[in-house]
Amino acid sequence: MKKYSLILLILFSLTACKDSFLDVTPTDRFTQSTFWNTKEQGEAALNATYAVLINTNSNYSARNAVYLDALTPNTYQYNADENVISRGLHNAATGTFNTVWNASYLGIGRANNFLANIDKVTMDEALKNRYKAEAKFLRALYYFPLWNLYGGAPLITEATNYEKQASLPRNTAEEVLAQILKDLDDAALNDVLPSSYTGADKGRVTRGAVQAFKARILLYAGRWEEAAAAAKKVIDSKVYSLFPDYRGLFYLENEGNSEVIFDVQYKFPEFAHSLDVSLDQQLGTAPLPTLVNDYYATDGKPILSSAIYNPAKPYDNRDSRLQATVILPGTTFKGAVVTDIQYPSTGYGQKKYTIFKDNEKPTIVPTSGTSELNYILLRYADVLLMYAEAINEASGVNSALSAAAAINLVRARVKMPDLAIGLTKEQLREEIRHERRIELAGEGFYYYDILRWKIAEQVLNTDVYNSKGARIDNRSFNASRDYLWPIPSIAIQNNPALTQNPNYGK
Amino acid sequence: MDQVIVVGYGTQKKVNLTGSIASLDQKVLANRPITNSTQALQNLPGVFTNQTKGRPGADAATIRIRGVSTLNNSNPLVLVDGIEFPLGDVNPNDIESISVLKDAASSSIYGNRAANGVILVKTKTGKRGAFRLDYNFYTGNQRATQFPDVVTNSVEYMEGKNRALANEGKPPESSQALIDEYKAGTDPFIYPNTNWFDEMFQTAPLQEHNLRLSGGSEKTAFSVSLGYLNQDGIMIQTSGKRYSLNTNVSSDITKNLKIGASVVGNFWTNRESAYTADEGNGEGGLMGLIYRGLPMQTPYAQDGNYADQWIRVPGHNFFRNPVALSNEGFRKNNQYRSLANLFAEVLLPFNIRYKTTIAANLLYGIEKFSYPQIYLTNTKTGVVSPIGNTPLRGLRQTSQNNINLTNYHTVNWDHKLDKHTLGLLGGFSIESFNDGNFSAYNQGYLGNELTELNAGSTSPQVSGTSAQTKLISYFGRLNYNFSEKYLFEANARYDGTSRFAKGNRWGFFPSFSAGWRLSEEDFLKDSRSLSNLKIRASYGKLGNQSIALGNQSVALFSYVDAISLGQNYSFNGNIVSGAAITQVSDPNITWETTTMSDIGLDASFFNSSLSFELDWFDKKTSNILRQISIPAQVGNLGGPIQNIGSVSNKGIEISLGYKNMINQFRYNIDANITYLENKVIDVRGQKYYSGNTIVQEGSAIDSFFGLQAVGIFQTAEEVQNHPFQNIGTVPGDLKYRDIDGNNIIDNNDRVVIGNSIPKYTYGFSLGAGYKNFDFSAIFQGLYDVDTYLTGNLAQPYKNGAGVTQDWLAESWTPENLNASLPRLTTSNGYPQNFQTSSFWVRDASYLRLKNIQLGYSFPKKLLAKTGISQLKVFVNAQNYLTFTDFKFSDPERNLTRGDLIEYPNAKSITAGVNVSF
Repeated sequence: MKKYSLILLILFSLTACKDSFLDVTPTDRFTQSTFWNTKEQGEAALNATYAVLINTNSNYSARNAVYLDALTPNTYQYNADENVISRGLHNAATGTFNTVWNASYLGIGRANNFLANIDKVTMDEALKNRYKAEAKFLRALYYFPLWNLYGGAPLITEATNYEKQASLPRNTAEEVLAQILKDLDDAALNDVLPSSYTGADKGRVTRGAVQAFKARILLYAGRWEEAAAAAKKVIDSKVYSLFPDYRGLFYLENEGNSEVIFDVQYKFPEFAHSLDVSLDQQLGTAPLPTLVNDYYATDGKPILSSAIYNPAKPYDNRDSRLQATVILPGTTFKGAVVTDIQYPSTGYGQKKYTIFKDNEKPTIVPTSGTSELNYILLRYADVLLMYAEAINEASGVNSALSAAAAINLVRARVKMPDLAIGLTKEQLREEIRHERRIELAGEGFYYYDILRWKIAEQVLNTDVYNSKGARIDNRSFNASRDYLWPIPSIAIQNNPALTQNPNYGK
Repeated sequence: MDQVIVVGYGTQKKVNLTGSIASLDQKVLANRPITNSTQALQNLPGVFTNQTKGRPGADAATIRIRGVSTLNNSNPLVLVDGIEFPLGDVNPNDIESISVLKDAASSSIYGNRAANGVILVKTKTGKRGAFRLDYNFYTGNQRATQFPDVVTNSVEYMEGKNRALANEGKPPESSQALIDEYKAGTDPFIYPNTNWFDEMFQTAPLQEHNLRLSGGSEKTAFSVSLGYLNQDGIMIQTSGKRYSLNTNVSSDITKNLKIGASVVGNFWTNRESAYTADEGNGEGGLMGLIYRGLPMQTPYAQDGNYADQWIRVPGHNFFRNPVALSNEGFRKNNQYRSLANLFAEVLLPFNIRYKTTIAANLLYGIEKFSYPQIYLTNTKTGVVSPIGNTPLRGLRQTSQNNINLTNYHTVNWDHKLDKHTLGLLGGFSIESFNDGNFSAYNQGYLGNELTELNAGSTSPQVSGTSAQTKLISYFGRLNYNFSEKYLFEANARYDGTSRFAKGNRWGFFPSFSAGWRLSEEDFLKDSRSLSNLKIRASYGKLGNQSIALGNQSVALFSYVDAISLGQNYSFNGNIVSGAAITQVSDPNITWETTTMSDIGLDASFFNSSLSFELDWFDKKTSNILRQISIPAQVGNLGGPIQNIGSVSNKGIEISLGYKNMINQFRYNIDANITYLENKVIDVRGQKYYSGNTIVQEGSAIDSFFGLQAVGIFQTAEEVQNHPFQNIGTVPGDLKYRDIDGNNIIDNNDRVVIGNSIPKYTYGFSLGAGYKNFDFSAIFQGLYDVDTYLTGNLAQPYKNGAGVTQDWLAESWTPENLNASLPRLTTSNGYPQNFQTSSFWVRDASYLRLKNIQLGYSFPKKLLAKTGISQLKVFVNAQNYLTFTDFKFSDPERNLTRGDLIEYPNAKSITAGVNVSF
């Protein structure tokens, strides 16, 4: 019987621990109940909202932003979604539409969760208010494509909630626009954001970033007077100035220079992109002759009417931004002369957003995922151009700074002559649009411009040619459809309440 | 007739089984060149093994028992000598028998992990009294089974690509001048016509040695075995070695106390390229590069250095020379796994037997990637430059550390009274699983020969985590039979798991089964032809606790409302940590439950020379755990894992065997076939897409889903009259059916176009012997199953990759209207023809001669004086004959993996010898 009792004892002792034995808690993450207590946690939730900027699906990530130019006459992409879209072969299932949609809501959800919970955290109120303003700016940033590209989407500003939010229908573009502007106004309220940061906070949202982004939104919305006023605030703040060297503006060592208002921050090896490889080696997005030929000669005239343009030496005597933006055959790049076949896609390569210098041979050959150059989302030259356009379009605004004067500031940096005096509003409009295209080429902004100027169907229904004049592809833009992106198939599949944009299938 | 089968926590006479169990013993495995024990389970009814790759050290076959009953891990539970342990880490030579528990009756005693079936492995032990030394050895060669018929002539490649681009309305990629230069060129370094399959694959040797010393005294038995497998891979610079140890001893200490211990140890050491053979770097490793290789590229330059390409085409902007990546640097994986097992068995009064087992299953693995710096020489210009777009020179070391502890106790009572036989089993088990990993990475190395973390200097990175899960279980069994005629059995298990929240943890899994041996009845007992006739039936419940999420095979804590870390960002070069909700959680999740009914008939005739077995089964899994997709507008969060639905697997298994002897000629035939119908019954109306497969109600799990192609457009008029496909559609394009009738072909026109779960799996084996010669052959086959390919070479000129011969010869042109393929375009440049459609569904049925063996045993008389008790020589041919319409690669493949190509299977010829003393 002794043995019996021994066994029973063992069995009993083992069963006694029963349910609590099965309690295991995760040791590598927080739970909702253990979070939202400290300043560090609140800050981490805000940081995670910033982190969506560099998400590979985000339209603000370096690759996606820069490649947007391939949907314009500026550059050409030979095989990715940008190629499919530029040829008009896209539909609601084309990947880019889904990834941008997803990344936008990823950022919105994080901003919403932050704003809904941050008041649970006990911390310095001034800092908390700054954090809230940062989050509101970011939320506006993430709503931007949903307004501008998709033409309206479900407007959600509360903490993520599957039951409440999963079947919400689309709000109109106007409603989304109103929310974006409200968030930006909230962020500007009481000047809780500083004009600038130093050290380890540099890269966070500033007062200037809020005003500059607001100017962009209002400009894109065609609200000229308000756009001009917002841009003027940035100009008048005197925080920013044009960086003297246009090419150097995009050098690694000049990150965060005086012209940068807000940039998407990268750091090797943790947060890196691949533009040094994809632009230089993989022909990711290659400048087209239509862009190259649009740079004026140094006399400020288009090449066809310039006396100093020499077709035999087409890259001499040109606006220096050409050499700073495009890798041109026969010129020096990376310490060697660029050969005719080096960039077989169009004959040209995009220099802007690579770190390479013209006269230095790189010490190492970068590989994918090793580039850390920040993508500049808002810079002062853009603000000047926004201001110029807004003030030219707005009627009856008197300002000390004229549209032409603002443009001339941008031109002076690259030693281009001032605009002719006495241009009509229409002539000035053409010059402003040209200046925007040239100044911002390769930065992804031209796509939004040709959409809002409603010139896409004129400039995109054409074949595209390489530097030697050989036809390489066709393009197609359907004006009754392509001014908006489709609501992605998967989004409609998961929420049938979402309506599709005109002339797209599901 | 008296065959004894290993069952859960015990053994049973085969004739008395009421559940459905398939088994095999060492004789079936003997001398076959099996490099992984998972490959051993061929030719068992209801068991589908699929060896999808032949990579040394990673060539395990996947095993599915009675279909796929979950959207999560479908692997069966494997127990080695009663303890959970991977089948692949047992030396096949150490296996004495394998039982596959297929129905609920036989497996419900393993409760919450038994839903996918249970495999019980018994390792070899010594026999008391005899002392024996066995030595087995074989060696041979392996070659790849099948490769696509790729264009290896550079001029044909270039002209074909130009033609494809012309069809897309694009200018030629290769100028006529270049093509003419190539045609005239004679220098094989500058003008190569490379077949990358020839360059990268080889005939590779393998050999295996096994030595076993076994025996015992009157009270003690022992067995010690050592094994050594040395396998070179058929891909260059890949290899695997396995060292294995299996030792066990058991002893009767007293009349009533028996104790024993065993250690199973397995050490794998594998080598391949740091680029990986078939999985890494976004390309699917070297396999991806090989399937991307162009005939104009060549491995070596004139100076003996690795070659760079001089013709650069879009999509192939730089040349990742696969030979260079194979030879330089390495990925080495060393993995040690052991199972230590101690048991004591006590005979108590009233014939009660108590047994307790304590076991530790340890895994310690170190994987090392040494990423090299490689320079390539341009074969035309002689310019030397670093290889492009490969990982920077650096070193990554990952360690894995798992400890699983098990302790179980059983009490057994068997009693016989007249014609009544009663057996009772009660038990308790407690298990904990502790998994940890740690990974470090460093860069800034001054030479490829520096392969330690400490030798690097820049950009160090670390990561690591650990997790624990626990299980507590109570189980029991009742056996009853009346004069071995009427059989009854009940099993139950009550399981608690740490993987669910309090309140949802415990599950009860009972089963009942009964059998009737008609052959024991008086009216049949005297039948001369009938040796055994039994009908049996079972019903029971099983559980599954494993949840898959994304890439994680096991998602723990999915019931917790978690805020994940690692959502980091940087400000001005300073990293700041970020935390965010990334997934919606459902705290109410609980077990997946499988209920299964089984009705079986066993019969044998003519002294058991003809045997027949039939099983009908109906298996329904409900509460299946799956991450649901939620609209992105909810913060683009991952959907919650929920108990969402149910899946049914119904089927029939039939096996038939015949053996006979005519004079000195012995022969036997065993054949089996399984029909399986897999169907998703309920997923709350949701559809789960994954690439080109879907999970939806009414279809089999992971059915291929796409447009229905109805031929090729022949005329512009036909395009005009057909529902709108795309503005670019022209004759020669695929024509799709407008399923929803809205005159536009889009996503709403997709339907199920193929099934990835085979409807029929079958196998047969033939055996024959004459005097001292013996012969055996094992066939395995699938029927009514599809696969879908989307990767390089499966589609023409994809991402700048190559093209197969059929595209150049058999694609549609205005002159070739009845072509088997649409007009030639690049797959990226003209995606319209390469949308997922029924046109590209491929029949993956096959019949394969898995193994054929011929052996000769030397006569005992001859050996008598030598002290050798047995001497046998044999030859094997493995995978040598395959009948299939699937021509692209080996048909034995991962059927749902469309984009990437796995390390090919090998066919081998080996010869060896067995000696026993």
